[in-house]
Amino acid sequence: MQLQNYDAFQVIADPSRRQILHMLSEDAMTINSLAKNFDMSRPAVSKHVKILYGAGFITINTVGRERYCTLKPEGFKELKEWINYFDAFWNRKLNKLNDLLNTQ
Amino acid sequence: MQREINQQWFFPHAPEKIWDYLTKPELLSQWVMENDIKPIPGHNFSFRTKPIPQMNLDGIFHCEVLEVVPNRKLSYTWNCGSGDGSMLLSSIVQWTITPKEQGTELVLKHYGLQTELNEIIYNGMDSGWAGNVKKMLGFLNQD
Repeated sequence: MQLQNYDAFQVIADPSRRQILHMLSEDAMTINSLAKNFDMSRPAVSKHVKILYGAGFITINTVGRERYCTLKPEGFKELKEWINYFDAFWNRKLNKLNDLLNTQ
Repeated sequence: MQREINQQWFFPHAPEKIWDYLTKPELLSQWVMENDIKPIPGHNFSFRTKPIPQMNLDGIFHCEVLEVVPNRKLSYTWNCGSGDGSMLLSSIVQWTITPKEQGTELVLKHYGLQTELNEIIYNGMDSGWAGNVKKMLGFLNQD
């Protein structure tokens, strides 16, 4: 199956997917038990799960007839990156401001 | 895990001067980037630079002025995306100016708008894989 390569931020921009991540941050859950928490159909929940899986936020393990979803911490690296990126960004900018002010 | 950006700087200059460098486009562009800022709440403006491929950003930062306290406080939204209209990052930039004896302290706070998102990231990084594996094993043992 070819999964669309979703951007991490697009993936979690969706409230249902955020809720799924929230639920998984407390416990591993099957797709069926996840679906019970939503008004949408099981295939719709399954689609969100696939997107989360495709983005690397969760892993899916098949045990018997059930598919268990668990949170995958490595998937959150990209989100952590923006903090690191903009921390360095502002540090560069403020250094520049410092230079500007002190050369006057 | 770090959940927001916090930087504290000291400049041996008057608060009014720092304020000018934060709010006058021609001065702000000298150290941040090209922009059309106005220190008026509700004013929409943007910062523009070259695309940043490593972050999948098109180099345009869409902002709206939120709070203005002349010479003391300025905050605006800081949203950016890859150029397809959706915002990959929604955040707030907040500047606080405090007069000091020999100059001015400037504090920058840059944080995500989606506090819920921050929670997920926080839980995701902290609760982690090990705890989930344990729970998985718990499920397996029930069979």
